[in-house]
Amino acid sequence: MMELPMLIMVGALVILTLCSIFSFKYRDLGFYGAIVAIILASSAITLSAPYLIYYTAFVFAIGIINIASLKVIKSVIQGVDYGLVGLMVLVTLYIFTTQNLAMILAAFVLVSVPTYILVMVREGGANVEVGIKYITFMVLATVLFLIGAIILAYSKNLPDAGLLYIIGYVMLVVGLSIEVGVAPLHEWVPDVFTSADPIPMSIIASLAKIVPFIVALWILIYTAGTLTASITIFTAVLAAISMFTGNIGALTSREHARVLGYSTVANMGYVLACLVAVPLVLVIEGGTVYIKPELVYFALAGGLLLLFANAAGKIGFFNAIKGEGAYSPLMYMLAFSFIGVPPLMGFWGKLFILLPLLEMGYIWLVALLVINSAISIPYYIKLASELGMGWKANLTNFICVAVAVIILVTVAFLPVEWFLTGMKSIAQTIGAIV
Amino acid sequence: MNEWLVFLLLFLAPVISSVPIVLAYKSEKWTAKLPPLSVFGIFVSVVMSLYIFFNIEGRVPASPNEWVWVPDLGINFVFMCDYLSRYMGVITAVIAFFIAVYGLDYMKGDYRPSWYWFFFNLFTASMLLVVYSDNLFLLFLGWEGLGAASWGLIGQWFRDDDDITYVGREGRKAGPLLLHWPPSFGGWRAISTIRFGDVPMFLAIAAIWVFAGTLNISEIEWGSLFETIGAVGTIILFLCLLMGLFTKSAQVPFSEWLMTAMTGPTTVSALLHSATMVAAGAFVFIKLTWYIEPWTLHEVPGLEYVYLLVLFVGLLSGLYGALAGSGMLERKVLLAASTMSSIGLMFAAAAASFWVDVDIGGMNLAVLVAFWYMAVHAFAKASLFLVSGHLIHATHSRFSCGALEFGKKMIPAFIVTIIATTFLVGIPPLTAYWVKSAMDEVMEHLFHDLGFLPFILLVLTSVVYSGLMAKFLALNFIKGERPHHEQIEGGGLMKLGYGLMVSMLFLLLYLIFTSKETHEFVAAGAVVKYGTITLSFTVGILVFLAFIFALYKPQISALTKLGTFFSDRMYLPFVNDYIMPKVGFSLSHVVHEYGNRGIDGFFNTKVVPGLFGGISRGIRSIQTGYLSRYINIVLGLVMFILIIAVVGAWGL
Repeated sequence: MMELPMLIMVGALVILTLCSIFSFKYRDLGFYGAIVAIILASSAITLSAPYLIYYTAFVFAIGIINIASLKVIKSVIQGVDYGLVGLMVLVTLYIFTTQNLAMILAAFVLVSVPTYILVMVREGGANVEVGIKYITFMVLATVLFLIGAIILAYSKNLPDAGLLYIIGYVMLVVGLSIEVGVAPLHEWVPDVFTSADPIPMSIIASLAKIVPFIVALWILIYTAGTLTASITIFTAVLAAISMFTGNIGALTSREHARVLGYSTVANMGYVLACLVAVPLVLVIEGGTVYIKPELVYFALAGGLLLLFANAAGKIGFFNAIKGEGAYSPLMYMLAFSFIGVPPLMGFWGKLFILLPLLEMGYIWLVALLVINSAISIPYYIKLASELGMGWKANLTNFICVAVAVIILVTVAFLPVEWFLTGMKSIAQTIGAIV
Repeated sequence: MNEWLVFLLLFLAPVISSVPIVLAYKSEKWTAKLPPLSVFGIFVSVVMSLYIFFNIEGRVPASPNEWVWVPDLGINFVFMCDYLSRYMGVITAVIAFFIAVYGLDYMKGDYRPSWYWFFFNLFTASMLLVVYSDNLFLLFLGWEGLGAASWGLIGQWFRDDDDITYVGREGRKAGPLLLHWPPSFGGWRAISTIRFGDVPMFLAIAAIWVFAGTLNISEIEWGSLFETIGAVGTIILFLCLLMGLFTKSAQVPFSEWLMTAMTGPTTVSALLHSATMVAAGAFVFIKLTWYIEPWTLHEVPGLEYVYLLVLFVGLLSGLYGALAGSGMLERKVLLAASTMSSIGLMFAAAAASFWVDVDIGGMNLAVLVAFWYMAVHAFAKASLFLVSGHLIHATHSRFSCGALEFGKKMIPAFIVTIIATTFLVGIPPLTAYWVKSAMDEVMEHLFHDLGFLPFILLVLTSVVYSGLMAKFLALNFIKGERPHHEQIEGGGLMKLGYGLMVSMLFLLLYLIFTSKETHEFVAAGAVVKYGTITLSFTVGILVFLAFIFALYKPQISALTKLGTFFSDRMYLPFVNDYIMPKVGFSLSHVVHEYGNRGIDGFFNTKVVPGLFGGISRGIRSIQTGYLSRYINIVLGLVMFILIIAVVGAWGL
């Protein structure tokens, strides 16, 4: 017998599917169906796991904004695109409630695949060239990621799985890096970000980045062992390369979309740094394995806050590009959040990632992170000043207001303790499995 | 009375009382009315210092950790009311008060009264802080206050628009160097010299905190501190500390600033030379020696060299100052040179304590002599400066001038000068004779360890010094040229000021004969001991003869060339105005050429921008837009990473 939240979740999926199918006839049905499905799924998650309320609220807000922003373009598949985004939102909401490896891997694929279609969306046709470039790398990424995950899961129960663990870890991180655009595996990012339509890009740059990281973190924590501390340096180096590549690339690019593409590369570097904190889960002491998940809260909270801040910022900037400018103060606010000016959300994200890294003695990575935040100042300010203009009551501006509210949440609820508490519960569920 | 309140009033009354005149700096009416308020502030300090003298003894607050400030760095409000500070506090406050009273008249109509009174009072308060502080950081605060105030006061007449405020003869050149300094340059020379010493002194204080764990002079375990840092450490520590003391006290080779400090108002010169600033360096050395007790630390390696250095720097400064002064004609500069000489003797006497373990009621004879000489010198020198200020007003000349006829018109000034000079040089049986006799005895104690040299230097200095003072008396009142300008009316408060000041010398004479701790001075000044005439008395007679000779013949034309050499201060100005700037310019040249350009090249023009450009070009060159190229790169990287991982994992 299924529990009520699960039933609601399945109901949401059914509504989403039906509405997407019938949207060929009634286009608005897709939109409303997606909204209803997201509301239902959010309530289901809140019912089954109340500690996820903050996470759910953020995903809900970002999802709704993503769907609303699709209203700006008239795509040939209008109606279905809402359904695709709706599906991604549902999966993103669901990800923390399952502890089943198969479901987690399925979630990874389910968030990835809709973007294959979304990336081609443009007014009056399909952007096939971009689609091919994107899909090629996504397939490669997904294959590497899945194989890596499965090797890791398999090696977990082996008595002596040194080599296998390392290969699994590297494949998973490399797969993740190609998927989200971590340098030096980021080659698709600048091209796709520049050539695709800004609205679908805003979705790919925001909502689509959350699940891959959570899944990677989940699997890495789930399979962490004695070798994790040694191999972590690989992730740290990758994170550092990505920060520099992204920031220097952004600093020397002119096109706004390209700047945002490189900014994504840099941001994914920051977020990747939170995977460096995984060994904090285990402390080897006289052969005994102690689980210390509390040190991971910060990394987890930092990673998520940074992903949300990145999502909000990217949605805002891409919409501004689409709408040929947006209200200037909002643009600056987004820029400051990206730079990491306190007390905006971007600041807390970076801070929370720095703390566990310091704890682990990764001083050089902390220093590079701070230096990179400084390097990023000019291009964010330039972006804000070039995209900023007077207030106009259009959808683009309203979407920018909405994302500004998201990054201002941490100003209204300064200590961010509430978010950490949520993270604690989440981390404990992951820790419980370990 | 609450001790906290006493100290608060002592330090803050002068400063707060000078705030109104600062606020009213734009109103001529108010700046003319408010100086008495500033003087009243100093009077409050006098009362407080007397209260402390009679009622408070020992450490204040008595219990540690009571008046804390930054306890983690040992910075707390700790004051010491010991023999030295109780006397010195009263001396400082009283002298400042008398000079302030004199200043009411002297500074009337000046163009910067607010500036003057604020810094004058800050000067006094800072010195009081130096005197009473047991905490080295607190002492250093006062020390810095002295520096800032002296800069402000020496450059009081910053417009450089009146030759009477200059030092040196107009047009006089020695090689490329112009020996003529305006007030603004005088202020700069002072602050730059003492800054040069303050920085190492600050480092020394920091080192004391690190190695001793406390900054309270009386609580520092000096012996174990020196043991901890070893001989080299002890020498470096003292050299750093002494840089501060020697620059402040204008000892060779840092004496130049003091000579051109005479560009400030005479009241400033009087205060600077008697109870503050130059006295501060010697006082701090005396105070430190008092607590270090070097005569008990002969086994500490390195300490002897330090005290040897101070002894000879002091004696050489003494002789240099006296000789340089003997060639001078500028009233105040002559006195300045003599001050430098006296301060040198204070350093020398205090340093001699290392070898002189003579106890007088729990106090070391040599240290006590140094301190008493400081007291006698302070009142005498302050009196002479105040007189010369009056003379400058009266004759409108900064060069010594005035024959007997003029002396008769300036009877109070004449008498005060006679008293101050004779009481200061060590003519028997006047005040300084007893102290100087004790100083002779201290140097006699060094015969065994250091030979006759210190004693000979002291006697030479005393004789030249005596002639110098007689020359001042003769050239200003008896045998000088007739002044071109005479204005002898008025100056009542000035006369009162130096009258009160010089009367203190009688009080000191009385104290020498009645105090327990100075009975050794009286014994040292005895005419006959063990059936023979004492060395001290012989020196006293020599001093007296030198005084009479110089009075009779203040200028010897046959020695003009030598006099010019002395008057040019043996060309020491070259160090300050020529060599040091040259060194500074070459340093800044090196910093600019190899430091700045290196940094600039790294961050702004070459390395970092080049790296940025290179990386940026690399990043952009990848983005050709061709999928096949991207796939090549990514697949290549993936394979590469996997191979590296496998190879690495094998090694694990």
